[in-house]
Amino acid sequence: MENIKIEATDRSPEVDFDFANNTFVLRGESYPEDVTAFYGELIGNLESHLEALDGAEVQFTFELIYFNSSTAKVLMGLFDMLDEAAGDGLSVVISWIYDEEDDTMEELGEEFAEDLENATFNMKKMQT
Amino acid sequence: MLASDMFEFRKKLQSEGIVFVYSGYVTEPVLTGIGEALKQKLVLEATDKKTMRNVFAIFVEEMQNIIRYSAERESVSDANEDVDLRYGVLNIGMENQKFYIKCGNMVMKADVPRLSSRLGDLQRLDQDEIKKLYKEKLRGPTEQTSKGAGVGFVEIARRSSEIIDFDFMDVDDSHSFFCLKAYV
Repeated sequence: MENIKIEATDRSPEVDFDFANNTFVLRGESYPEDVTAFYGELIGNLESHLEALDGAEVQFTFELIYFNSSTAKVLMGLFDMLDEAAGDGLSVVISWIYDEEDDTMEELGEEFAEDLENATFNMKKMQT
Repeated sequence: MLASDMFEFRKKLQSEGIVFVYSGYVTEPVLTGIGEALKQKLVLEATDKKTMRNVFAIFVEEMQNIIRYSAERESVSDANEDVDLRYGVLNIGMENQKFYIKCGNMVMKADVPRLSSRLGDLQRLDQDEIKKLYKEKLRGPTEQTSKGAGVGFVEIARRSSEIIDFDFMDVDDSHSFFCLKAYV
């Protein structure tokens, strides 16, 4: 799959999906006008890519400053998808990088990770 | 006269601690523009980051709530697209050293009992219960099907430092005016 790089805007995060190396990054703020328009295809591509993989190591990094509730729904689905891929034999590492002065982001990371059964999850403080 | 009228209006707003007020059609570009100005203002006030993000987050949810659900609407069509304009009012102010974000818009009278009962339920929850409900909503059906009191209101409640306040007022046979106020 062709790598996807999208620059951040005021309302959408930087996207860096490197399918060749299996590293995926979402970085910045996310409150797009239409979450489905922004995330739909990206997540669709990621899903087909993960399904076709065999025993690879996948790293997904979330480095988000702020996201709205519609984005939160998308992220929850993304966590489920990544965990399912880990259940199907991939080694999946999810990193949640948050601003140390923002404990809401820390809590949200913990809450998203609560239901993970197969993927490895780690949290890191962002230096500001 | 013109200047003094407007100056008095401004003075009244300021005396009520209002930092910012918008009344009119709310569109996504309006949200973007005001959002940027609000962020800069919050930085200038040297607000701590947590407060800043909570004010901003509640502002976004309230504005998007107006955009999606205000029952006072007008459709404008041009060659390329149909634009649905929704009317609402939002203000941000300070009260007892706390920021508040207050919004108002028309709703259909028929929706009042459902909205009122869901927001009332939300008022009775403590922070742990709100977080639990938030997650349930994230896993639940999407906004379109759970119109009103979806995850947006729960997001507002979780980022508020006090119990959210809301009210309804009858306007005519089919409409009520809805107001929601949250403190950070």
